[in-house]
Amino acid sequence: MTSKLVDLITSKDPQIRDLPLERICNQNSAEELLRECHALEEFRRHNDNLYERVRALFFLHAIHRYHLPPKLPSTLTRVPFAGYQHLLARRYEEAIDAFLGVLRSQGAGDAICSALAVAYHDLAFQTLANQVRRSVRTVRGNQWMFRIGHPADGPLRIRPELLERHPQTGLYPLLAEKTPVRMDLSHSAWSDIFFLGMDYPEGARVLNVSIDLAVRGRDKAPRPPIETYLRVIDEPVLRLVSVDLGARADITDLREVFDFAKDYLGLLKAAVIAAGLVPPGMEGSEQNLSDLLACVVGPGLGLEIVSSVNNIPKGSRLAVSTNLLGSLIALCMRATGQARALAGPLSESERRIVAARAILGEWLGGSGGGWQDSGGIWPGMKLITGCLAQKEDPEYGISRGRLMPEHHILSTSEVSLETRARLQDSLVLVHGGMAQNVGPILEMVTEKYLLRSEPEWKARRQAIAILDEILALLRQGDVRGIGAATTRNFREPLQTIIPWASNYYTETLIERVRSRFGDDFWGFWMLGGMSGGGMGFIFAPERKAAAQDFLQELMYTTRRELQHALPFAMDPVVYDFSINAHGTVAELLCGEAAMLPPGYYTMMVPQWLRTDPREMRPLRRAELDLFGTASRTRPELSGMVQTMFDQLFPRSRPEDEGAGSLAALLEKNGFDPQQHERIRADLRSGRIGLAQNRLPPSTIIEDVSPDEVTDATAGLPDHYRASGMKALANGEVAVLTLAAGAGSRWTQGAGVCKALHPFCRLGGRHRTFLEVHLAKSRRISRLCRQPLPHIITTSYLTHAPTESFLAAQANYGYEGPLLLSPGRAVGLRLVPMVRDLRFAWEEMPQQVLDEQQQKVRESLHAALIAWARNCGEGSDYTDNVPSQCLHPVGHWYEVPNLLRNGVLAGLLRKYPGLKYLMLHNIDTLGADVDPALLGLHIESGGCLTFEVISRRIDDRGGGLARVNGRVRLLEGLAIPREEDEFALSYYNSMTTWIDIDKLLKVLGLGRMDLADAGKVTAAIRDVAAKIPTYITLKDVKKRWGHGQEDIFPVAQFEKLWSDMTGLPGCDCRFVVVPRLRGQQLKDPAQLDGWLRDGSAAHVESLCAWD
Amino acid sequence: MRIRKAVITAAGPSQRGLPQQNLVDRDGVQKTALRIVIEEATSAGVEEVCIVHCPGDREAYAKAAGDVGARLTFVPQESPRGYGHAVYCAREFVAGDPFLHLVSDHLHISQTSLRCAQQVVQVAERENCAVSAVQATRESMLPYYGTVGGTRVSKQPDLYTIERVVEKPTPTEAEQSLIVPGLRAGRYLCFFGIHVLTPAVMDLLAELIEKSTPSDRLQLSDALNRLAGKERYLALEVRGQRYNIGVKYGLLMAQLALGFEGQDRDEILTLLVELLATRQQVRS
Repeated sequence: MTSKLVDLITSKDPQIRDLPLERICNQNSAEELLRECHALEEFRRHNDNLYERVRALFFLHAIHRYHLPPKLPSTLTRVPFAGYQHLLARRYEEAIDAFLGVLRSQGAGDAICSALAVAYHDLAFQTLANQVRRSVRTVRGNQWMFRIGHPADGPLRIRPELLERHPQTGLYPLLAEKTPVRMDLSHSAWSDIFFLGMDYPEGARVLNVSIDLAVRGRDKAPRPPIETYLRVIDEPVLRLVSVDLGARADITDLREVFDFAKDYLGLLKAAVIAAGLVPPGMEGSEQNLSDLLACVVGPGLGLEIVSSVNNIPKGSRLAVSTNLLGSLIALCMRATGQARALAGPLSESERRIVAARAILGEWLGGSGGGWQDSGGIWPGMKLITGCLAQKEDPEYGISRGRLMPEHHILSTSEVSLETRARLQDSLVLVHGGMAQNVGPILEMVTEKYLLRSEPEWKARRQAIAILDEILALLRQGDVRGIGAATTRNFREPLQTIIPWASNYYTETLIERVRSRFGDDFWGFWMLGGMSGGGMGFIFAPERKAAAQDFLQELMYTTRRELQHALPFAMDPVVYDFSINAHGTVAELLCGEAAMLPPGYYTMMVPQWLRTDPREMRPLRRAELDLFGTASRTRPELSGMVQTMFDQLFPRSRPEDEGAGSLAALLEKNGFDPQQHERIRADLRSGRIGLAQNRLPPSTIIEDVSPDEVTDATAGLPDHYRASGMKALANGEVAVLTLAAGAGSRWTQGAGVCKALHPFCRLGGRHRTFLEVHLAKSRRISRLCRQPLPHIITTSYLTHAPTESFLAAQANYGYEGPLLLSPGRAVGLRLVPMVRDLRFAWEEMPQQVLDEQQQKVRESLHAALIAWARNCGEGSDYTDNVPSQCLHPVGHWYEVPNLLRNGVLAGLLRKYPGLKYLMLHNIDTLGADVDPALLGLHIESGGCLTFEVISRRIDDRGGGLARVNGRVRLLEGLAIPREEDEFALSYYNSMTTWIDIDKLLKVLGLGRMDLADAGKVTAAIRDVAAKIPTYITLKDVKKRWGHGQEDIFPVAQFEKLWSDMTGLPGCDCRFVVVPRLRGQQLKDPAQLDGWLRDGSAAHVESLCAWD
Repeated sequence: MRIRKAVITAAGPSQRGLPQQNLVDRDGVQKTALRIVIEEATSAGVEEVCIVHCPGDREAYAKAAGDVGARLTFVPQESPRGYGHAVYCAREFVAGDPFLHLVSDHLHISQTSLRCAQQVVQVAERENCAVSAVQATRESMLPYYGTVGGTRVSKQPDLYTIERVVEKPTPTEAEQSLIVPGLRAGRYLCFFGIHVLTPAVMDLLAELIEKSTPSDRLQLSDALNRLAGKERYLALEVRGQRYNIGVKYGLLMAQLALGFEGQDRDEILTLLVELLATRQQVRS
């Protein structure tokens, strides 16, 4: 069978091989595309070439995700539960078989295509990741570590110099490694992603500079930010200490070395393993760590490894963690003779093995970066390039490129010392304060590269040309030209490939810097995966100092403006930097010089002082002596006594008291302590919980029949539209936007207002969710020549920020009435029950992760279970900023709040003709006051009309069902068996048309009663009692240190709006709407698909921006 | 090339007592370890033997050598500057001739009718170049041996052309530069303690000594690594076993191996069985 797409993949001619997929797909009908899919499926199953296979998988994904659905008739298909289970368990081939079986028997439909798209996508990444892992393991110099399974086989021995105790102090010498971080001088258009480098080594090129750093205003001068230390200790333990994270552990059990998420020492553990000190082959060997240490160091002895990154914030985009890993690996390699020199720089071959092991360490720790990230190990400026795999490489015959790139260090004849100095004098390096997960971006880059989408492929080649241009400019010493080139790189290729590389915050900064510095602002430079964290601004050298001051202030004020809209992890920072000409360098410190950084003693000495002096080991006593003497004589240790005193007797936290305290917030936001205690008691006794959320197993759950819903996917009769238009023109309708929640999935529990997030560039600039909803109301207002009242519900978390944001934006110029409906109920989060954690992680279906990531996740789960036990299950969660301890109590309350807070009463007074509300979620961007749907609701005569959409595989969390004979919306939490959900054809979009008077009647109220607060409260309480209460687990971020974040699962209770459909006496109708109208945008990772599949364009068509 | 001379190094400060240890040889005669090593050398046709020793050990070693003691040349290593330097001390004895070199803390037992040193000398004389005896060794033993990297000599299964020599490499280094095609994963060719070396080694050692400071410990492997770059240098996978008598139970194992090889095999087996039975009785 001939296939254009298979030919495209296998062609030797780059003109054909690099053709964009969409060009062929656009010319083909659905039937032709299905035939192509069949050919691709056959091809990828029988092809041995890894990259051809992967490209076929990405083609299949893209066809099922983007190209087939718009061409298909609206056939209702269902995703088979068995296939979904395979998908969760990473059995992708089996999942694909199951989905293809449905496709063959039921025909192609939106749901089954979505399932196939996910399965092909995940299988493609799994295949690529497996290959990288295989390559990491087969790099020569790494293989032996996987063969060692017993301490007696351990071939490493500590260098004898490290065992020679100093004659005077009695201390073992200290091996200290100082390592710079790396800066990506051109932004490589993410070409250092392993997959890309291994398929397209010619295009994988990076200009990478090793730099020293200082935080402006805090540190005196730039220095290598990474310091790592190793010494022998007189206890048979592996002592790991992270000075910055304030974490230490004395490890005596080999299993603990492989337990990465147990504490904050995962990176140090990964380094110890990747350096071969504890070879990875020993995992699960049940051998003793002390035996291994006896073999490597000597009987009764151990090792202490200490890391410090000089408090450089996380998310700096300077690859601090990879270079820290590299530094630790280099240190351990030197200590065990794997590097020839104990002190001084490393040789090229040693640096390469450190880089390979840093990749291994990242894989072990379940993370991953690019291959340029360990660039700090090398000195100065270097061009790092991908390499074609040669015969001796393990990748030969598998991929075109090999895993490890080549490093060419640029000599001073290539880039003069003067140019380097000029670069330093012009560049202002900053950390904007945002710390975001760049994982989805790297996946997008890989996918777009493999699909060769026309604009993105062109952009990639443009980025490669810009790198050459920057290289030439460096040779010429033209820093201003470099600024122009990096700006062009950011504006054109980078944002063409990944529109999300920029954001509103970054754009605001650039705009304000440009307006302040004019021609003296030479350019912007994006570091790493995305902007908002590490960034560079290039200025005329004479303005650099002023620019540093300006940027510090500018970032601070801009951050304050946007703190509720964007997930900032820390205060912005301006750096001083200098180019490091040495790379990683070690020094052997003996005698009085063998001292660790001050932070180490701040952390450790208070603990030592608590031990009985008679039990103190002689070595520790000697170290205390040394520290005591040094703190009297060394200026850098002055003030240590006070610091340690503070450490011994911590001061009370100021936020424990005052107006912003938790107690004050609870009081202010209508917290009900009695209800809280009741919920706690129920939770602890097991009356409520995740398992109890579910309906009894005997419940009969069936899919609805076609006559139980109205299908509006192909449009509605004209008379509905006429009715709707009439109601609109009469001012009978208002919009209710639910914006009280925190959008946990959107920022993984960062606690910012999702409504205010400028999430996407629409109509020429970044728009917030709120602006989009108002723009839709504006369009409808103009259509019906009647201003549409728009109400936004808020909560303790979102009210003040929304109010001030809208004031600052002058309501986005919205002409109609715009009202906020503040929340009237709040809950206090609880430490979860172990029972519920186990239920969520062990009973409910979970996506199994990649092998190593899964191990890390299991270790994290064990740590979180221990955390819940230690804190007290069911106790108040108070160990965070107060606003993160509170929770909104579910969107059911948002309509009753409208009654209790008087907003509805006020609106009805002003607009007595108001009869209907359209309620929708903040993330349902396609929902507008569609006249035809309004007309349908009016003519149906129901109380509530719920909009549903046909289900795709990622639409999880319930749906429309016949439950024991009654058609209603069923929350996912309440479904007794997972598979029941997969039998439901429709998913709840949450958009609801409300007949105000009928709803009031359900509550036992009339319009006149709204003025009677007591009556309203009593009515709401009565109905609330009939609505189920769910216990849910939510992820909450706790921020600490310098950009560090921990995520904790906390328990909270919720009542949900869709349960109104189960309320006796409430007349509910259901209408199936087109997907573009009903789909929700829950996760930033969905954004790219949303932009590409026409959803964004559809939303734009609904908006009137001005 | 004809090998007439042998150099035995016995100057390691921590090994001074080892050559004087008594063992019963294959022929049932009690001998010192030194004597057994000397016989290994003479069996290969060597006529002159030089012992490099620590100052003050000459008398004891001469006695330990028994009736051949009077025919030996003794050269002291005045300062402990490493193994390579010890070999270099014998330069005047060698006097520009190729020589067999053995270490005094290893005993070798052949699995063929040819003794181990004979196998090496035979190959060296045939190939007319330096030859080191090697044995495929697990990577966990790398911290104890000099290790070679190279390629197999065509159609000679036990012979390798040495390209690189590294003293006690780490497994990382071994994996990067010492992998020999045809060996099992995690195994490397490590020195066996017997070499036939050409006079060029003495020149290379001289160069290295000139560049070093008195506190440096000079390794023979460094000179051998240079030798590999300079002239043809082969490794022979000897058919035999080496026994390091300087490690824990090393002497016992060497004695048992010698015993099982020789005329008293049955007697030793009987003794061992008896010992085992007695131990069992005591336990029960």
